Amino acid sequence: MAEENDHEVRIHESRRRFLIGSALAGAAPLLPGDAGAQADRSTPVPEAAGPAGIALQVNGRTHRLEMDARTTLLDALREHIGLTGAKKGCDHGQCGACTVLVDGRRELSCLTLAVSVGEREVTTIEGLAEPGGDLHPMQQAFIDRDAFQCGYCTPGQILSAIGCVREGHAATPEAIREYMSGNICRCAAYPNIVAAVMQARDQVEGG
Amino acid sequence: MNQPLFPAPDVKPGQTPPRYEGRAKVTGEARYPSDVRLPRTAHAYLHTSRIGRGTIRSFDLAAARAVPGVIDILTHETIGDDPRHMPAIYQGGYISDSVRPLGSADIVYWGQPVAMVVAETFEAAREAARRIVVAYAPHPTLAADIRSADAVTQAVEPMTIDTGDFAAAYAAAPVRVDAGYTTPAQHQNPMELFATQCAWEGDRLTVHEPSQYVNNVRFGLAEQLGIDPGRIRVVSPYVGGAFGAKGFLTQRTALVAIAARRLGRPVKLVATREQGFTVSGYRAETRHRVQLAADRDGRLLALRQEGWELTSRADAVAMGAASMTARLYACPNISVRINTVAADRSTPGFMRAPGEMPYGFALETALDELAVALDMDPVELRRVNDTQTEPVAGLPYTSRSLMRCFDDAAARFGWKDRSREAGSMRDGDWLVGWGCATAFYPTYAGNSAARVRLSADGRVHVSSAGHELGQGMYTMMAQVAAEELGVPFDQVTASLGDTDLPPAIVAGGSSSTASVAPAIMAACEAIRRRLGVEGGSPAEVMPALQASGMWVVEEFAEVRAHGLPAESMASLYRGRATPAGGVHLADRVQFALGAQFVEVRIHARTREIRVPRAVGAFAAGRIINPRTAHGQLIGGMIWGISSAIHERSEIDHRNGSYINANLAEYLLPVNADIVDVEAMMVAEEDHQVNRAGVKGVGEIGVVGVAAAISNAVFHATGRRLRDLPIRLEDLM
Repeated sequence: MAEENDHEVRIHESRRRFLIGSALAGAAPLLPGDAGAQADRSTPVPEAAGPAGIALQVNGRTHRLEMDARTTLLDALREHIGLTGAKKGCDHGQCGACTVLVDGRRELSCLTLAVSVGEREVTTIEGLAEPGGDLHPMQQAFIDRDAFQCGYCTPGQILSAIGCVREGHAATPEAIREYMSGNICRCAAYPNIVAAVMQARDQVEGG
Repeated sequence: MNQPLFPAPDVKPGQTPPRYEGRAKVTGEARYPSDVRLPRTAHAYLHTSRIGRGTIRSFDLAAARAVPGVIDILTHETIGDDPRHMPAIYQGGYISDSVRPLGSADIVYWGQPVAMVVAETFEAAREAARRIVVAYAPHPTLAADIRSADAVTQAVEPMTIDTGDFAAAYAAAPVRVDAGYTTPAQHQNPMELFATQCAWEGDRLTVHEPSQYVNNVRFGLAEQLGIDPGRIRVVSPYVGGAFGAKGFLTQRTALVAIAARRLGRPVKLVATREQGFTVSGYRAETRHRVQLAADRDGRLLALRQEGWELTSRADAVAMGAASMTARLYACPNISVRINTVAADRSTPGFMRAPGEMPYGFALETALDELAVALDMDPVELRRVNDTQTEPVAGLPYTSRSLMRCFDDAAARFGWKDRSREAGSMRDGDWLVGWGCATAFYPTYAGNSAARVRLSADGRVHVSSAGHELGQGMYTMMAQVAAEELGVPFDQVTASLGDTDLPPAIVAGGSSSTASVAPAIMAACEAIRRRLGVEGGSPAEVMPALQASGMWVVEEFAEVRAHGLPAESMASLYRGRATPAGGVHLADRVQFALGAQFVEVRIHARTREIRVPRAVGAFAAGRIINPRTAHGQLIGGMIWGISSAIHERSEIDHRNGSYINANLAEYLLPVNADIVDVEAMMVAEEDHQVNRAGVKGVGEIGVVGVAAAISNAVFHATGRRLRDLPIRLEDLM
């Protein structure tokens, strides 16, 4: 789906502020929102920086992208590649809706600059099952246990659950509750999420 | 851990289908409005005000314009004549507040949009928005919240109730309670951000926006832009949580539509989490005074509740749910007063159990105080005052199973093992308290329409512009059509959330199923009539179609809800369908009822508060799908826990801003906060409320939990805390 769109967004501008810009962009989410940024000329603002050409390995495919160097992995997936399963819930690393697996470990894609991923392999929710094919056991468990309602946090919950199992943190309901607490579910399907992880944990590879 | 319960009073085993859209949601295939990718999309980013009251003196946009990739910057100086002013929904408009977007230099609340940047990329738009410099002239005074001296209190006269002689009865009664309670400002914070994408093709506009009421967005936006509503399509097939925040048109939509029209290309806005705190309405902070009087057997002699609710200076909004709390128990002398308190804030709105949560917290905590004063079990106090007739106008409840809920939940919880004395159930370092309260939610329904198509190959398609918020709307629609036409669930497809479909009511007031299921049933009945099997069993439908020689039968039906006049049907086709029911009917009252029981544990030294166990039992008429209903109920109960001990929007008194406008500091429960939450469904049949016999379960789970928790905190510690949220610093 992606190759034709890889280059649809570019900034025709070249500045030599790549490192400064990306460093500031990376730090920006740690600031308390936008607070104060607009009222004061002296507040640092992430600088335009780009374009940066990168190759992202996602779900077993290579995507060559050219984009603003400040682009997060989340926005690269959603806006540039078209993998919209990863969701933006806060853009500050506070909610977990953007969780993906990077080299098999769960990461917050909204706090990860796409240019920093390098050759590491990214797995999104779309990479767990072929269209129309068998679901991953964790996906099936979320359906069986009704572990979601609105579904917006669900891709992040499922990938986080796989990470949780692989880390060895799914031995007890108490451990699951603790290690799944980086993923907020505002519909509050928490008891059913724990039940789903319990159901699927023995079928997760590397668990 | 207990397994989730799926008691199925009305559904036979094996007839509880999993969620219709389950696969789409676990694979990422479900396309939420911000997931839609349109060619040549430009990205918008809001710049919002950093003062709470005053005027804009000037903009310095030079640095913003210089950001590479910036295309356009909208301010009140550049936007032109649109959008037109519109009153808020409460005053007859379509929109959540009447402050015209980029309408003038006036700032009336912190976080008000004052500019919108449009750029080639999200990153450029964000940078430019942050480079905008606004010079403000702040107003010298500002009322930041309900306690501010400069806020303006006004009685809401139409909400006054006087039955009997409250003052005399209260003065003469042997046992009395008189106490004040407060609840804080809270924000819905659905996981999905407030996103809007607008694309014009010629003079036709398509809006992709998560909405609880697509036709409200369509007709309101048409009026704001001065165009034919027939040229606007609003599409919202999945909503990533709403809880009232996406109930009505907000100011952002017109800005995005105007920007897209100016640019001649699609524009996408995803407001930030912080901006979301003022994009839409929220739960206003409230104050209450409750006075109760009873005889020595606990029978209520007098009840008075007065509420004060924060509102904006622009729009008077009051939930006024003392109209409900006053009708819950038998009592001859009742007085209700409601007030708004206008401050320099954005206009509040609806948040799951909008009035029921705060007003229920106050009344149900006061009842516990009365039980303590009487040395009476709080369950027995409710039993003594149970009634099948509401006390204000003497109208009958269509059905009321409150004490069955209390008895079932009490048995499950083990309430008989409670020792009544406060502080008597300590467990090592933990002070243990058990509390209970009544849950209630009015049964609403509104006019809705649906279309159903049956094919001779056994496939069914059902469509209605209802909304999938996570409550299970797709599942309900498919399930009702399958049952009515005698086809398997997996042969049914469903469409919703699109103004091209037959219109339905707002997905609010727990009324979606009660409104849309009857329309689907009516359309299916019309199909059976066409086939000559009206009144027969669903199993006769397919044979009749195959014998008819037709390939497809399709029927449209619209259904008017009880209590709405004939002329109300036109409003369904203008995005103004309003729910009826609850306490607003001339002949009866309609409520779902329930009982909430909680265990609270407070650490003796740290004062950490935990809620390890909650049991609720609810009687809400017919439960169409116990699986999705269970999810709604436990989710609601966890919202109740959150309202009691987690959530509060912290207000900066200097400018009316929200200090914790993010998901790290706005405290929501995470998985580790929630242990054992159990929802039981008490079988109840109600043939009056609507054709489907459905009362709705979207909000009742929230109601009463906060009171049950405050009552349990009293039981654990002997300290009565009347202000939410209850935090450990309140127990030092």
